[in-house]
Amino acid sequence: MKATVEKIEKNRVALQVEVDADVMASAMHKAYKKLVKQVNIPGFRKGKAPRKILENYIGTGPLLEEAIENVVPNAYLEAIEETKIEPVDQPSIEMVQVDEGKPLIFKATVDVKPEVKLGEYKGVEAPKAEPEITEEDVEEHLKMLQQRYAKLVVLDKAEPAQEEDTVIIDFEGFMDGEPFEGGKGEDFPLVLGSGTFIPGFEEQLIGVKTEEEREVKVTFPEDYQVEHLAGKEAIFKVKVKEIKRKELSPIDDEFAKDVSEFETLKELKEDIRNKLKTTAEEQSQNLFRQAVINKVVDAAEVDVPESMISRRLEALVDNFSQRLQQQGMTLEQYLEYTKSSLKDFKEQYRPEAERSVKTDLVLEAVAKAEGIEATEEDLDAEIEKLAKLYRQDVKTVKATLAAQDSLDTLKYGIMLDKASDFLVENAVPVKAEEAEEAGDGTEGAGTEDTKKETAEATE
Amino acid sequence: MRRPHDIIIRPVISERSIGLMEDNKYTFIVDKKANKSEIKKAVEEIFDVTVTKVNTMKVRGKKRRMGRYEGKTPERKKAIVTLKPGDKIEVFEGL
Repeated sequence: MKATVEKIEKNRVALQVEVDADVMASAMHKAYKKLVKQVNIPGFRKGKAPRKILENYIGTGPLLEEAIENVVPNAYLEAIEETKIEPVDQPSIEMVQVDEGKPLIFKATVDVKPEVKLGEYKGVEAPKAEPEITEEDVEEHLKMLQQRYAKLVVLDKAEPAQEEDTVIIDFEGFMDGEPFEGGKGEDFPLVLGSGTFIPGFEEQLIGVKTEEEREVKVTFPEDYQVEHLAGKEAIFKVKVKEIKRKELSPIDDEFAKDVSEFETLKELKEDIRNKLKTTAEEQSQNLFRQAVINKVVDAAEVDVPESMISRRLEALVDNFSQRLQQQGMTLEQYLEYTKSSLKDFKEQYRPEAERSVKTDLVLEAVAKAEGIEATEEDLDAEIEKLAKLYRQDVKTVKATLAAQDSLDTLKYGIMLDKASDFLVENAVPVKAEEAEEAGDGTEGAGTEDTKKETAEATE
Repeated sequence: MRRPHDIIIRPVISERSIGLMEDNKYTFIVDKKANKSEIKKAVEEIFDVTVTKVNTMKVRGKKRRMGRYEGKTPERKKAIVTLKPGDKIEVFEGL
């Protein structure tokens, strides 16, 4: 087999492959063996006709086709190995010479992995916030706990309702003196000031007392969901049955005992401080990691081939539609709802796809430059993690992955992770404030991604 | 006088006839009334070979039915011609 590579465009090569005549001949023989079993020739039982008879009967065309189908993929793979090109897409194959007894020549045109020109990637400076947990942060968290563990206490009859109180009400709405549909409710717990009801309703209930009846006059907003009610005036007859108020317990040792396993307030505070600190540190570490990677990616030059982008785009769309499906929606419905087309949608996600392809390529280049590889142990560790995640046996998980041919993908992912670890280890953290001034300009598109990422991470 | 092509009608191409070709025996459908010596002569003339032996047999037509009418496929004569070692007939191309 002979293979020659010819560059057509930046990331596109034409691979001319010549398959030896004898390889072709044996492929033809195999093709004959296969076809002869399928063709019914008078005078012969199936599979018993000699090759010559078969050729005369069906022609050499189908035989050649069959042989090519068998030979070309293998030859293509071999040629890739030999020429050391790294295709990223399915090749488009064109036959150059197809003749029996002569070597088969075909031309495969395919996008290859682009060359990555790494910029500076060691010792990258990136902003890293050093989180400090102040006494106030702890207090704030405590207050949150206080709110969460607050008790609802029923008020005395004489006491008027205030904002944030929960009133239990019966209500009935009238429009032009007539009750209307959906305007009635009983024993409805309404938190005043929560904005559950239409504007104006809750405000007019402030100061109301238990057992009091009050008429509330409201105008439905113009953009109300129920069309025939929008913009109309209505009168609600409201009867207050009960008023409940949140009672906050004082923050002291007793409180600490109630809400946590700690005995004293001091211990609880210490615990909160530690927890807050860990989350903050994780967050800033993540931010830092993103910033480092972004900087390295920005510094590198890559010509991302179109086919890689569109493939990643497909994956993104798939992923998105799967998420939608979990919420019980199809992609089509979503598109209809947002009044956009699949094309617009893809256009919108294109930069993201391009960025993520570029990131992968750059990380891969870094891994190559630094000799970072995913070892078998790494792989095993990762599989173990997965096994834990899915609560399955390690062996089963491995077998499933192997069956799906995704072990290599997994390895690739580990390699990229290790590469980014490497980048982070070699990066220089700069205090956030300073970095903001110094780091501008080079980051550009990167920062936004980072913010988004962290926002997701914190959720 | 019948010409050689009137006697030799067509070669028989089947598993069996292909197998016999290994023994240098070629099978033809021949005219029903032709005798062995006529067949020998015709084959020698058409294919320019030497024939050492001719075996013939009549192939009875098979009964075939078209609805209520019964018919018969035609009766034929088949000849297996043995050639002198080394001689060959190349014309056994497809149907």
